Amino acid sequence: MIHLTDVRKAFNQGKSNEFWALKGIDLTVRAGKVTVFRGPSGSGKTTLLTLVGCLARPTSGRVRLRDRDISGLPERFLTDIRRSTFGFVFQQFNLLKGISAVENVMIPAYPLGRDPKELSERAHALMDSLDIGPKAQSNAEWLSGGEAQRVAIARALINDPEVVIADEPTANLDSERSRQFLGIVETLKQAGKTVLMTSHDPMVCDTAVVDHVVCLRDGQLVESR
Amino acid sequence: MVFQPAIIALLLASAIGTLMVVASVPFAINVLRRWDTASGSEAQLEMEKRTYLVSTLLVVVLASELASLVLFVFNADRMSSLFVGAMCAVGTLNVNEFGFPTLYLKIVVFFAAGVWLVLNHVDSRGYDYPLVRVKYGALLALAPLMAGAAGVQLAYFLGLRADVIASCCSTLFSGNTQVTSDKLATTAPEAALSLLALVLGVVLVLGRRVLKSGKGAILYALVSGVAFVVALEAVVAAISVYIYEMPQHHCPFCILKGEYGHVGYALYLPLFAATALGLGGGVAAPSARIASLAEAGPRMVRRCVGASMAGFALFAAVTVWLIVRSHLILIEQSPVNAILLNLSGGQP
Repeated sequence: MIHLTDVRKAFNQGKSNEFWALKGIDLTVRAGKVTVFRGPSGSGKTTLLTLVGCLARPTSGRVRLRDRDISGLPERFLTDIRRSTFGFVFQQFNLLKGISAVENVMIPAYPLGRDPKELSERAHALMDSLDIGPKAQSNAEWLSGGEAQRVAIARALINDPEVVIADEPTANLDSERSRQFLGIVETLKQAGKTVLMTSHDPMVCDTAVVDHVVCLRDGQLVESR
Repeated sequence: MVFQPAIIALLLASAIGTLMVVASVPFAINVLRRWDTASGSEAQLEMEKRTYLVSTLLVVVLASELASLVLFVFNADRMSSLFVGAMCAVGTLNVNEFGFPTLYLKIVVFFAAGVWLVLNHVDSRGYDYPLVRVKYGALLALAPLMAGAAGVQLAYFLGLRADVIASCCSTLFSGNTQVTSDKLATTAPEAALSLLALVLGVVLVLGRRVLKSGKGAILYALVSGVAFVVALEAVVAAISVYIYEMPQHHCPFCILKGEYGHVGYALYLPLFAATALGLGGGVAAPSARIASLAEAGPRMVRRCVGASMAGFALFAAVTVWLIVRSHLILIEQSPVNAILLNLSGGQP
């Protein structure tokens, strides 16, 4: 589904502090599977995730979603792809404070101009399915870490994306909450979603729901299973 | 003389515009030589990123070129009070030998910039930069044109002398000399208006065909160009006379003056916009054959042609209104009868 060909990414290129986060990655991510990018801090996991999710462009190399090259797409098309194909769960969740959880969930759907009533129903249904229905009207800053993460997952799913991307999803959770999260991943997989995660948590990498683990070190792919 | 706000604005706009376009030329050459979307090389990705910046800058610069033509004409008209003998923009443009060449070059730049903006807009609708080479190839042609226009304009403004006795428009548009402008004035108003009606009719028929079937946009563009020339001829030969209500006054610039309600702008703005959009529609038409523009290309062509038709229709409506409200009876029968008679070979 997603193919990466000799992808390289540099930060501060041409400056004294130039840093190559990725040094030639060739990879295929299969549709409907759960893939984890594993590696120590600074190995390039998050950078790789942002390139796959069209949040950044590679310095060289190509990223293809099905047959279309998405690494060189004009920005207007990237926005559409980000909105319709990918759902993001960020490490710090990035919920907007001052508005309710359900409003946070609905935000990515606003630019699509969907019927507000239908949208609200879908947002509530998603929150119910993730067991956070009672927290729908709570402001984002009042939520616990686990609740905030589930709101972030509901937000990622509001546009019914094919691919859900999660950056270090269990980094801020205790073991019980991490197990609950993996249960949600199992549900997403059963629903036919492709899930991409970064993690160095053994609980995530060794769980049965994960189909594919890609190990990175110093910006290079060292192992893939 | 150069230190007039409008002149400073025009000089700055053309200098900055030319600088921007000339600075984009190396990038344009790079695109023409090295653009290859199949490659994932660093240089290719760098070009893909930079094309946003260059295109955005060029859009601003070329849009300002469109506005600068209007400002140039407005300024020429306003400055006529500074020169002995000048009654309108014609006098100002005649102060030295660079006046009219500047105007003509600015008109050419106006249409070239309009076409480039349409090309750029169509290109931005395709996900694979479908017209990027065409766009930057066209920029290579546009750069010397803009630089030439800026240079001639600078020479014109630097050569403005208040002690020069300028020619009044009556010497150019009286119908008594052999210069081209005067020959335009001698064209019979019936013939000029008949031809105008005929060409505008053809424009609308062709435009309707483009809107319905999506075909014929290139022909529409060509006829738009013809309609532009015929419309200017009609302005000199007949429309201006109806506005002034003086049979011997054919100046196409005095109609811009406040004493005639600046009605010239109501004629020229739709006409220039309609022509530019018509040309743009024709240039955009071949893009429909490109897979990534299969939907957006024809849609853009229809929009351009539709807007162009509206512009020509507005020009026609203003013309009819000016003739109807005029107290001058230039043609004994009503203009409609005269047109019909002319078309059928009879005498009005």
